[in-house]
Amino acid sequence: MTALTEQIALASDTRSSRTKPSRGLDRAFHLAAVSSAMLVLLVLAGILGSIVYGGWPAFREFGFGFVTSSAWNVGTEQYGALVAVIGTLASAFLALLIGVPISIGIAVYLTQLCPGWARKPVAMTIELLASVPSIIYGMWGLFIFAPLFARYIQIPVSNVVEGLPIVGTILYARVPSGVGVLTAGIILAIMIVPFVASITRDMLDQIPTVLRESAYGIGCTTWEVVRHVLVPQASVSIIGAIMLGLGRALGETMAVTFVVGNANRLSASIFDPSSTIASRIANEFNEADGMQLNALMALGCLLFVITFIVLIIARLLTRRAKVA
Amino acid sequence: MSPTSTLSSQLTSRNPADETAPVRIAVKDLNFYYGQFHGLKNVNLNFHDRQVTALIGPSGCGKSTLLRTFNRIYSLYPEQRATGQILLDGQNVLDPKIDLNELRARVGMVFQKPTPFPMSIYDNVAFGLRLYERLPKSELDGRVEDALRKSALWDEVKDKLKQAGTGLSGGQQQRLCIARSVAQRPEVILFDEPTSALDPISTGRIEELIEQLRNEFTIVIVTHNMQQAARISQFTAFMYLGELIEFAPTTKMFMNPEKRQTQDYITGRFG
Repeated sequence: MTALTEQIALASDTRSSRTKPSRGLDRAFHLAAVSSAMLVLLVLAGILGSIVYGGWPAFREFGFGFVTSSAWNVGTEQYGALVAVIGTLASAFLALLIGVPISIGIAVYLTQLCPGWARKPVAMTIELLASVPSIIYGMWGLFIFAPLFARYIQIPVSNVVEGLPIVGTILYARVPSGVGVLTAGIILAIMIVPFVASITRDMLDQIPTVLRESAYGIGCTTWEVVRHVLVPQASVSIIGAIMLGLGRALGETMAVTFVVGNANRLSASIFDPSSTIASRIANEFNEADGMQLNALMALGCLLFVITFIVLIIARLLTRRAKVA
Repeated sequence: MSPTSTLSSQLTSRNPADETAPVRIAVKDLNFYYGQFHGLKNVNLNFHDRQVTALIGPSGCGKSTLLRTFNRIYSLYPEQRATGQILLDGQNVLDPKIDLNELRARVGMVFQKPTPFPMSIYDNVAFGLRLYERLPKSELDGRVEDALRKSALWDEVKDKLKQAGTGLSGGQQQRLCIARSVAQRPEVILFDEPTSALDPISTGRIEELIEQLRNEFTIVIVTHNMQQAARISQFTAFMYLGELIEFAPTTKMFMNPEKRQTQDYITGRFG
């Protein structure tokens, strides 16, 4: 009985002893949270604004020709982004071409085929790949991968395809140095695989067991289940994952700068050295001033626009997947 | 009114059990293990041709486990294994050498939840057919229509065969899944609580459908709903803790069960 009255006394005590809600502190907290959020927007707007401002003289000088011209001549102050834009898109495209099937393969293996005990180690290894700094990929790509690639792929392939129509152009290395657009694509593929594979794995994991069982239940082989049911079921999210990988491939700088060859030359061969937007900026920023600096800034704008579009598409696709 | 008499009012006198019907599936000394857990214990049971056999029992009694041995769907999970024999037309389903894909075309399965594949209504039905048979387009169209008619779905979908199967209502999706099985012209169709995710009206339509499908197929249905078992089945098997307690024509099972446990379960004393 006493305990009960004590409790009541305690309860009423806390109520009366509670100080007036401090409006000031609450408001300060609110303000702090809002301004943190605003700060991010401000920084983004600031970066975008200053790059556009910095690149403006180049856009004004060359107009739309900045995008369509392949000139990049510091001496004559003629600047065009075409080589870098194509190099960026081509290396990223090759990265997807190589990386996406491997990623889907990994995801399918992990979710459908892998024995329970091997799941964790394999998944961990793939996530570790994502944590390797890009400079390591660049260094490894230049010093170890590129010479091997030149000797065992570029030279034999060039010898075989020389003089053939189309493939003789695309797969012919004038100077088999190992570096080039394809090398960049391969290194980028290694870099995006962990991202695309782990998102795809999560999506496949979310597919209800009964759907998988009912596909096996009508007599599908594993390949048919994966090809016709599981991958289409997760397709929208997988495309979202691919877009995120693409966003990363487009903007990757360090590794690509090492292995892309950094030549401002339009070539139809994927064995030939080229440049990407990011590698061009990384290479020249140190010594640039005047119009060259403006041109680099303008290149930055283009990269911003390209990756932004890709990210928006990725976001839209993954959101639609959640609704569905 | 006692629960037994409520159940007996559901019994269908129109379709008495045909105990002389040939045996389609004969289960002999079946034991099933989930890793160390002994899920089915020495089950012996016959399933008659073109009869509906209901498997009833409380949750975890092994009724779904038993169903999942007939098309060996359990073998997707390496820790699950079965011993004994399941003879489908005399051929042992548990034989490791049996072609699983062919077996699963002969033994169709419909699950608790509708599982339309991510493709059009037409392709959902044609998909299973294309796996085994190379049919000319016209014949394929005919088979798809036939399966959809038999699944009582044709009139509702004939004008939108190209639309996604996932756009249909739950009950329609389940009938689509039934059509998918029917199209393969299986010998047996397994239903694993096919109406547990559906509303009463859709449930009624599925039950009518099962009634009709019985003219062509041997049907095994797992249900936790005893009224449903009474309404649609000719034979009923009652299972408890991994054992088959009683197997009898449905009318006898619900009117006059032999075993005490069966009596207790169907009168709702436990379960």
